[in-house]
Amino acid sequence: MLEKLMSIDRRIVFILVAIAVIIPTLLNVRFPITVSQPTRSVYDFIDELPPDSTILMAFDYGPSSLAELEPMAAAVLRHCFSKNVRVIGMTLLNVGARLGDRVMSQTSAEMGAVDGEDYVFLGFRPGGISVILGMGTAIDSVFSADYRGKPLSEIPMMQDVKNYDHIALVLDLASSGTPSTWIAYINTKYKQQVAAGVTGVMVSELYPFIQSGQLVGLMPGLLGAAEYETLIDTPEKATAGMSVQSFVHLLIFVLVVVGNVAFFIQRRRAQ
Amino acid sequence: MISKKLILFLFLLAVVFGPSCTIAIAQEAPADVDTRWFHTGKIWIFLSVVLFSCAIIFSIYRARGGGDIFIRRIAGLEAVDEAIGRSTEMGRPILYILGLGQVGDVATIASMNILGQVARKTADYETPLRVPCNDPIVLNVVREMVKAAYLDEGRPDAYSEDDIFFVTESQFAYAAAVDGMMVREKPAAVFLQGTFYAESLILAETGNSVGAIQIAGSDSDSQLPFFITACDYTLIGEELYAASAYLSREPMLLGSLKGQDYGKFLIFAGIVLGVILELVGITWVSTFFKEV
Amino acid sequence: MRRQVPLILCFLFGIVMMLVEFSPHPVSEGLRAEVIEWDLIIGPFALVIGVVTLVHTHWIRIRRRVEHWQYSYLVFIGMIVMVAFGLPMGPKNGGNELPKWLEWFKWFKGPENEVFVWFFDNVQVPMEATMFSLLAFFIASASYRAFRARTLEATLLLAAAVIVMIGNAPIGDVLWNELSPVGENIPSTARQWILDNPNLSSRRGIILGVSLGVISQSIRIIFGIERSYLGGGD
Repeated sequence: MLEKLMSIDRRIVFILVAIAVIIPTLLNVRFPITVSQPTRSVYDFIDELPPDSTILMAFDYGPSSLAELEPMAAAVLRHCFSKNVRVIGMTLLNVGARLGDRVMSQTSAEMGAVDGEDYVFLGFRPGGISVILGMGTAIDSVFSADYRGKPLSEIPMMQDVKNYDHIALVLDLASSGTPSTWIAYINTKYKQQVAAGVTGVMVSELYPFIQSGQLVGLMPGLLGAAEYETLIDTPEKATAGMSVQSFVHLLIFVLVVVGNVAFFIQRRRAQ
Repeated sequence: MISKKLILFLFLLAVVFGPSCTIAIAQEAPADVDTRWFHTGKIWIFLSVVLFSCAIIFSIYRARGGGDIFIRRIAGLEAVDEAIGRSTEMGRPILYILGLGQVGDVATIASMNILGQVARKTADYETPLRVPCNDPIVLNVVREMVKAAYLDEGRPDAYSEDDIFFVTESQFAYAAAVDGMMVREKPAAVFLQGTFYAESLILAETGNSVGAIQIAGSDSDSQLPFFITACDYTLIGEELYAASAYLSREPMLLGSLKGQDYGKFLIFAGIVLGVILELVGITWVSTFFKEV
Repeated sequence: MRRQVPLILCFLFGIVMMLVEFSPHPVSEGLRAEVIEWDLIIGPFALVIGVVTLVHTHWIRIRRRVEHWQYSYLVFIGMIVMVAFGLPMGPKNGGNELPKWLEWFKWFKGPENEVFVWFFDNVQVPMEATMFSLLAFFIASASYRAFRARTLEATLLLAAAVIVMIGNAPIGDVLWNELSPVGENIPSTARQWILDNPNLSSRRGIILGVSLGVISQSIRIIFGIERSYLGGGD
């Protein structure tokens, strides 16, 4: 019996995880979210911006991390549009172009924001560091037109936004190492304020940048998205997702406890 | 002979690219362009790089004379022979995964160095070595490396180019393909060395499920917990870089590790000094580091 | 000679690119931009190599009728379909710069390229998301298997993992606030403390080690001491 408890077949664990996801999803369980300081800092920074300020959002994620980062993007966009903060969207990853365009179009339609006046999506340019540095000199030297091919010179909100001097915050929503590249090249060189929203796995590696003041704030994965939804008082996908995730965390906790209890009993018997 | 060609090459480089650099700048530079040749704000970083580099070069120079250089035991590297031996005995292949890094990434180069050593042994033992690659340039470098290792061991006939192949640049498609290989081919040993992202646990857990002995190594610190949980041995950060020195036991490579230790000692001394001074209310050390 | 030229190039570029980091002069910046451009130019060549190798690998599989050779046809079908519909997206995001003869084909254009977008939204997105979702299952099985309090270090790891896991989920705070008479939101506070203190300190240690390792490895490569990546011995 103890042996069995200590080595439950992984397929049984998989089935338990599936049940822990499916049932709460069907029951639509919701828990209140406690907001952490790093997420609150992002919210506060955007909230305190005067109307008609501009932020740049980099959609540096692919389809795999969509579930964590798209709700985050939608929450921040809702906040910006409600505060009349203008948003420039772009991406350093080719797969991010469609995803960025989609979330910006959907959220703007929902909030009544106007393309070219309240937001613009520039799409993707290859080059990574050269794109980041190039925008410091002139955005139109890197992106001559928006995602739909409209020249930047014809876009009203881009008339007074030429480079980082006219951007209050760069928010990188990322599933890979791009936040440290943004920090290294624009925080250090242009003294640009940078914030990040990343997948849950990556969060801990960015904490040193919060303490050093190189990141304004940090949104940790789906939890960060749920926290932001709580702050703007619009519980959506992330809040629902975190409630479901709670049950999986609880299941893992129970499995770990069961495994350890069996381990200790067996060790005591062996002694 | 070489130096003349080199000078000619540099001259051509300057002629061809010099004007284009200047033109590019003239077109793009804003009015307040910085014309300093040296960024004085980075002087301390520059000095520390120079100091640390000198310590390493000095250690390498000293090590050239030979002599015994102590290097602590690294369990993950000690297990390389065991993993290859196990695969040979079981008649199953070794799967070597270089991660998602590009050829310019230091972790990928470190991983290729380990692969070179592994390939020498698989050439000797005639153990099949399978290397699915994520980057076409890495693929070509790896093919050259492994081929040369087999030639050096006098076993060019045992080398098969088809065993080193490109899968895809897409992160999760790569993970799916490699997982599929693991499940179908059931390798006896899996090496996961290089730069990894979210696919790390997907690969390591599948390797575990097929019963392979797994040796992981990465400088992607957020992925290390996954490797530690799912693999038999894990090289943490700098251990990955030290691997080629450890495996080859070449004095000059070992010497560079000693130089690295001098750097660590300096940093450690700085931290201890800073903590003590901070505790007694003297803050110039922490202020200095904040400003640097 | 075959190895001397790469070693010389490696030395030159290594030293120059390091110095460029410390120089804000326009010439240095221009040089940096130029080298990044070269790197970008290499990209398409790599793509060609990748495609050729992929086609070769799968063609051989089909020809030799190796196990599951039929799936190799799927590789070709997927590649041809996505390239056929994806290419019109073009270098300028597809923009409005399509050749005239293609303009009649409205849904074939730019971000409104409906077929490409359909494949992206309904094939690539769910497939990649599925692979990523496997992590939930693997994290559960790996934690269950590995988190055993065998030694003091393992016990510390286990305790930290459990606190972060419970503190990260809203249910942790909910249960604590319901059941415990002491304090509010203790699980999420404890989680934040672990992330801010022990996590940050240990991570800094790893970062310092890795950074010194990178410098040491780079010096070995720049000076040609580490050359096994070039293949063969000396």
